[in-house]
Amino acid sequence: MLKYVIKKLITMLITLFVIATATFFILAAVPGDALTERVEKLPAQTRMNLYKKYGLDKPLMERYVITMVGLFKGDFGESILYPGQTVNKIIKEKLPASARLGLQQMIVGISVGMVLGIIAVMKKGTYIEYIILIVAVLFISVPHLVFGLGLQKIFAGTLRWFPVIGWPKGSQVWFGGWKYTVLPTLTGCFVYIASYSRLLKTSMLDVINQDYILTAQSKGLSESQIMRKHVLRNSFIPIMTTLPMSVAMSITGSFFIERIFAIPGLGMYYVTAVNGRDLPIILGESVIIATLYIVVVFLTDILYTVIDPRIRTNASKSMVD
Amino acid sequence: MGKLLEVNNLKVSYHTYAGEVQSVRGVDFSLCEGETLAIVGESGCGKSVTAKSIMGLIQTPPGEIKTGSKIIYRSKSVLDFNKKQLLQYRGAESSMIFQDALTSLNPTMTVGKQIIENITTHNKVKKNVAEERAMEMLKLVGIPDPEIRIKQYPHEFSGGMRQRVMIAIALACNPKLLIADEPTTSLDVSIQAQIIDLIVELQNKLGTAVILITHDLGVVARIAKNVIVMYSGKIMEYGSCDDIFYNSRHPYTRALLNSVPRIDLKNKQDLFQIEGTPPDLLDPPKGCPFSTRCKYCMNICLEHEADKIVFDGDHFAYCWLYDSRAPKVDITQQNGSEVNGD
Amino acid sequence: MNIEALKDFEIIGCEGTDKNVISRPTITYWQDAWRRLKKNKIAITSILVLIALAVLVIIGPTMRHYDYISIKAAEKNTAPNAKYWFGTDNLGRDLYARTWLGARVSMTVALVCTAIQILIGSIYGGTMAYLGGRTDDVMMRIIEFMTSMPSLLVTILVMLVLGNNMFALLIALSVTSWCETARQMRGLILQLKTSEYVLAARALGASPKRIIIKHLIPNTLGILILITASSIPTYIFTEAGLSFLGMGLQPPDISLGILISFGQQSMDFYPYQLFYPALILCITVLAFNLLGDGLRDALDPRLRQ
Repeated sequence: MLKYVIKKLITMLITLFVIATATFFILAAVPGDALTERVEKLPAQTRMNLYKKYGLDKPLMERYVITMVGLFKGDFGESILYPGQTVNKIIKEKLPASARLGLQQMIVGISVGMVLGIIAVMKKGTYIEYIILIVAVLFISVPHLVFGLGLQKIFAGTLRWFPVIGWPKGSQVWFGGWKYTVLPTLTGCFVYIASYSRLLKTSMLDVINQDYILTAQSKGLSESQIMRKHVLRNSFIPIMTTLPMSVAMSITGSFFIERIFAIPGLGMYYVTAVNGRDLPIILGESVIIATLYIVVVFLTDILYTVIDPRIRTNASKSMVD
Repeated sequence: MGKLLEVNNLKVSYHTYAGEVQSVRGVDFSLCEGETLAIVGESGCGKSVTAKSIMGLIQTPPGEIKTGSKIIYRSKSVLDFNKKQLLQYRGAESSMIFQDALTSLNPTMTVGKQIIENITTHNKVKKNVAEERAMEMLKLVGIPDPEIRIKQYPHEFSGGMRQRVMIAIALACNPKLLIADEPTTSLDVSIQAQIIDLIVELQNKLGTAVILITHDLGVVARIAKNVIVMYSGKIMEYGSCDDIFYNSRHPYTRALLNSVPRIDLKNKQDLFQIEGTPPDLLDPPKGCPFSTRCKYCMNICLEHEADKIVFDGDHFAYCWLYDSRAPKVDITQQNGSEVNGD
Repeated sequence: MNIEALKDFEIIGCEGTDKNVISRPTITYWQDAWRRLKKNKIAITSILVLIALAVLVIIGPTMRHYDYISIKAAEKNTAPNAKYWFGTDNLGRDLYARTWLGARVSMTVALVCTAIQILIGSIYGGTMAYLGGRTDDVMMRIIEFMTSMPSLLVTILVMLVLGNNMFALLIALSVTSWCETARQMRGLILQLKTSEYVLAARALGASPKRIIIKHLIPNTLGILILITASSIPTYIFTEAGLSFLGMGLQPPDISLGILISFGQQSMDFYPYQLFYPALILCITVLAFNLLGDGLRDALDPRLRQ
């Protein structure tokens, strides 16, 4: 079992390395960058100095090595658009907002989604199931941005229940100022509610039709006991595989949500960097996001083996040969 | 010994989009304590549905147990049980094992937990007491090293072992009735014999009555006291093991026996087969269901279902051939090598 | 019930009877699927809606013969009326035509990308399943690597490199999507390859070509249909989102995303400018999702009765 974990860990690190490399070379191919714009009007000497500062005067491969070494040491580069702002600093500033938004969305969305899924199964055939179905499809079909804009207009603009934009700052970043977080969280969580309710419902229906449920019934277990001890645990297994995707969705969704609600988070900053061709930032943030994603995948894999004993045996078996 | 189980006029249908499938169309039999009854028949003849009805496992809808059906277990009507009584009955009084042990066991739960579950559902005992009992059960069904095995998962057992586990689960609360639905069909022949021997052994030890559902006549010969031959949702013949094997009266029973390949057939002799297929239960024939495949079919067989004709003691069959007005035919003269129509 | 007649008891045997009558009509998998789909009213409604949308997308922009490109300052920002069904934007251009034009672009992008995704995915996945061994391993690694980053990220990076035109968009959107399709196809074909009925067919002497045509293709068709139905809305979404952020198509190109982004800017004063493109977007995606659901239920072999 431990060997399995270590093997996955190594794969993870290699993948990260390859991703960082690939990103670097892709970005090197981008025509035009922020620096070019900035230096157009400056005298030649200053230009040379600036190039030197960002290491752009060196040939490609050398730049690559420097960047890689820097990444390894935890130095993710410095912004061109905003000199003095290193990626590390930016992350420290902006991560809490994005993280909180992402976590809130996922926690609310996934738990509500799963509850709805369970209800849909228990009330199968009744109009309640139908409503949940319709609601789920609706939520999936309305994109983040439209939904967000809609909510913003109605609840903030017209009804004035919540502020239109903004996010708690400073000491309140994590736990305070909940008024600001309501609309953005709502916007983001609906996708999770929709997908997890459907997922769980399908998974549960699958499990309920299995033979071992019949065995459980023949032992004289009540419906609620069967639900709790047999159905739920086995239904959760496929849900595990969706988690990394959800995290990815949350990260990329933040691009839109933060833009709409003017939340100073990583997503918003990434968008700004991309539009401004601020290459170091783009590289640094891309690597960070990729790392986050891969780590989640890795954790999910481990979690998967814990939950499904069949994988556990296969995992240790595959280590033998 | 009193009657443990009595089934009267059991009729079960399933409502599908294509119509009503009449799976069981009037079945009567009874069982005493400690006895073994075998139910034999082709696939789709209603054996499993009958078994599930006895356990109260028919889902309604889409299933429907028609009024007039009676299942009496120890003088109590199973079909009238309320929820609580039904849950008490299943597992502790009457239990069931199924054909495919791999899919019938929860893959993410240890074998021990699955046995313990049965125990604790019906008895308020401490966890370690239940564990002790679970290990006893594993020993009883012949699984070595129960202390280790009890913590393992179903996929870590071989096919035959898994079936033993199923038996351990089913007998954990010492029920009076065990229904085995084709327990050996998916096992190797050598393992089959072991499992059947195990069931016999346990039966003797615990005094459990067994209803064995199978299409394997060899198994029936080994274990059954009485045999029901079912076809198309109805009983064709009922009798003791000897009656059925040596003195069968119904043409269908005869045909079944003849279908078993025999080692003493001459070389290149055709294997006997019953031509045709069982009738569609969406639209059952009004007469005897076997009429279209029976070489002794008479006009009356096509029109009316036969009355019950009792031979000696407990041996009876539903066949017009034994009506006083039918021609005297000795169906025992036909033996295995003939094909229909000769 | 008079059964006295001796004739009733004459043995007639079973020669003349039709022993093998099968009273239930046999229906093929596809017929059964179609029957189930037809029963699903929601799915049928979605199909009709999509057909209507397709028609409007084709004829919409030129329906009213208004020029949707040139600027008419005098008529800017008019609310929907008899002349301009959806109103005009801040430069006086007919929004009705522009919306359908935008829808046309979005749909085209979605369809082309789906086609690319399915084509590459099937060939890649099929090759993996067919060759097996080390080649399969290597190809799998490539897929794993490509999916180790969130796809939107990759799309954005590719757009950075290639620019903001249609061509770039098509490539950027499909560059990672084929991976999942390839994985699914590989899994499916592997399963089919070792399935018992293919084995039986081979034992009966069927040629590889026959096996592919009669067995592999029909079974994969179902999944491909499902993939198509669920990919199209995803592409429409993604394109709209990218354009909204300024990373996708840019003006003077028109797409639903661009229209929505314009609409957002004047949201407070002229909400209709946001409303109509957003509505069309949602209806399209909703229709595809509902159809996809209906198809999934209809094509699921386990629900076959």
